[in-house]
Amino acid sequence: MAEMNTDNSQSAGIDLSQFYQVFFEEAGENLDNMERLLLGLDITQADDEELNAIFRCAHSIKGGAATFGFSDVAELTHQMETLLDKLRRHELAPNASMVDVLLASGDALKAQLARHQGNGGDAIDTTDLLANVRALVAGQAPTAVAAAPAVVAQVAAAAPAKGKRLVELRVGPLSNLAQADELRDLFKEIEGLGTIEDLPSFPDQANTRRFKLETASAESDLLDLFTFHVSREEVVFLPWSEGGVQVDPDKGLFEGGAAAAHEEPGYGFFDNAPGAPLSGVASASSASAEVVQASSAAAKPAAKADKPAAGGLESSTIRVSVEKVDQLINLVGELVITQAMLAQNSRGLDPVLYQQLVSGLTDLDRNTRDLQEAVMSIRMIPMSTVFSRFPRMLRDLANKLGKKVELVMQGESTELDKGLVEKITDPLTHLVRNSCDHGVEMPADRLARGKPEVGTITLAASHQGGSIVIEVRDDGRGLNREKLISKAREKGIDAPDTMSDSDCWNLIFAPGFSTADEVTDVSGRGVGMDVVKRNITSLGGTVEIDSAEGYGMRVSVRLPLTLAIMDGMSVGVGEEVYILPLSSVVESFQVNEEMVKTIGGSGRVVEVREEYMPVIELEKVFGVPRFDWEHTSGIMVVVEAEGGRVALLVDELLGQQQVVVKNLESNYRKVNDVSGATIMGDGRVALILDVGSLVRRSRH
Amino acid sequence: MHSILAVDDSASMRQMVSFTLKSAGYNVVEAVDGQDAWEKAGGRSFDLVLTDQNMPRMDGISLTKKLRENPQFKATPILILTTESSDQMKMAGRSAGATGWLVKPFDPNKLLEVIKKVIR
Repeated sequence: MAEMNTDNSQSAGIDLSQFYQVFFEEAGENLDNMERLLLGLDITQADDEELNAIFRCAHSIKGGAATFGFSDVAELTHQMETLLDKLRRHELAPNASMVDVLLASGDALKAQLARHQGNGGDAIDTTDLLANVRALVAGQAPTAVAAAPAVVAQVAAAAPAKGKRLVELRVGPLSNLAQADELRDLFKEIEGLGTIEDLPSFPDQANTRRFKLETASAESDLLDLFTFHVSREEVVFLPWSEGGVQVDPDKGLFEGGAAAAHEEPGYGFFDNAPGAPLSGVASASSASAEVVQASSAAAKPAAKADKPAAGGLESSTIRVSVEKVDQLINLVGELVITQAMLAQNSRGLDPVLYQQLVSGLTDLDRNTRDLQEAVMSIRMIPMSTVFSRFPRMLRDLANKLGKKVELVMQGESTELDKGLVEKITDPLTHLVRNSCDHGVEMPADRLARGKPEVGTITLAASHQGGSIVIEVRDDGRGLNREKLISKAREKGIDAPDTMSDSDCWNLIFAPGFSTADEVTDVSGRGVGMDVVKRNITSLGGTVEIDSAEGYGMRVSVRLPLTLAIMDGMSVGVGEEVYILPLSSVVESFQVNEEMVKTIGGSGRVVEVREEYMPVIELEKVFGVPRFDWEHTSGIMVVVEAEGGRVALLVDELLGQQQVVVKNLESNYRKVNDVSGATIMGDGRVALILDVGSLVRRSRH
Repeated sequence: MHSILAVDDSASMRQMVSFTLKSAGYNVVEAVDGQDAWEKAGGRSFDLVLTDQNMPRMDGISLTKKLRENPQFKATPILILTTESSDQMKMAGRSAGATGWLVKPFDPNKLLEVIKKVIR
């Protein structure tokens, strides 16, 4: 708002902008919290502690926004806070429209904050929202009024509802003082706006006009009106002070009303309080004199700030950039490799002769592993960061579809690598939407089937071995086997009646497959599930479906805990070693010439249990000669990705191990069919194969 | 060097206050709410306590009351940072034993100006 002192990013030689990032993160957390609490709020018997917590979220954002000069955020949160304050004091009872308006305000705040962070976007028009919040504060129903053109009517209509107050209005500096006369005319034209009186200008601010207003309209509404004639920046509202003494505009937004009617320097001391200065409450003249003194005094110590103050900083958490953590993880990765090399080289040593060295190496092994685990855990964040978006999404979605859905979340504290959390968000969103849109039936249908009216969607995360399993379950209509099979045949997919249930459910992952009778704008046109599967597979994960018609369905997503370490199977081709992600390896077997057939001169296939599979010779892919010149025998490893299987022809299987994944693209360049590289215990570099890419290669 | 206990549940406010004070040569201990401040106040003395009012677990007024019960904090200046300067708030602050109040939002100059009045 115009009366906010927005140019305070440089105070006492301190650049406030250095705190912006922390403020944005904190405000984001507060908004998420507020949304979660609002969604969980039982309006029939709201918990005091919850109402207090919601209030604190708005309060905290307001404090920061006002301090750092984000006046639009401060204004909206101020109004929200007023409403929430009435709720927690039980002056108003919470109702559904309050929750709606507060949620919408939260959305607007997010947009405002995104704008301040430089993410662009148009200015956020919060006129209606502010009006709605104010109406709720006044105990009225929110009236979503139309924007700018209706403002005049809105102000006039709202006026008689509230008591009038006195406000000092300053307009300027103006190049033409007569401009301000237009404002006086406004008060004549609009009934109910209040009265306006001229006040003498200050001698040192001759270009600024002063008025005394008696009005019931909110300052933001007045401002919207005034901006037809003068610019927003020229308008300042100040709390009315009786003697017409100059009030410090720095005091900001929240001191309006009676409490501020007498002049205050923005602080005060209680008489005879412990530690209070002898002079008691600062008098007006000494306060302003000391401002000058204080700022010059502050300038000196600020210049010394280069020498770090020996002050102890004690806080339970620290914020560190992801870059630093990644660097740490990288270094630990190097350490793991060095340790593996030492372990390999020392294997031949006589444990009796080199007892101390060997026990030292054993300690190193253990400590390295512990260190790696500890460092990896820094990047781990709880699944609740993803799950927390779903209550709101489902609420909106269910409202839109006319369904009743309850969301149950389990295992939100299960941790997953930050990078994976970011990448799993979209696929999970899709699955949850699908459950709500296609799974859960309309309330009437559910009742007719003897089910509870409210459908349940469960999101559950848990650790299983070295992976995390995330389940999306619903108690909706489930998958229909016949419908899936006939649909698959329509699409030209081979779907025998005898196919197993799990194969049948997997049909929905086929590209372009949709079983919804009607295409809705919620889950789209069935192009989603194949993308979901592909995204999850590219993260080294798997998806499984389980369903019982009429009872619901369950989608289980299994993901590795981190992308930085992988369980791999190492295979040898000639002199080279390649790593296959263990999750994609199906089986391996010894082949002989009879099992392999050449088709059409283009490629070879291998017959495994009456099924033919394309054969990929890694020697040809990477141009490395095999030991076995005659190709009379070899080992085949069957790998699976993106719904296809291929058999890789290799010389030998070397073993399974955890490997530290190194990005080849950032260290060298993109190499086809390779997803990364690792350094083996003996110091050699081994390429990690991109199984998905190999499968695609076999299709061409 | 003077030590100040700065209490605020908002990380950005805490950082701003802490940075301002450190730049002015004060020693700063941060606390994330009244409870945390109470735990950190144990066993050491401060020349000033700056506390936010509205915080989870323990608010500024309750912290002030608790500190005043402790002989070590009997004469320590305690300033409450608050967005509301209502008489009600002032009464509560006074009866809890606070030294004074500072209205938020304030700029760093104002903070240092007030602190200079109570720390000499």
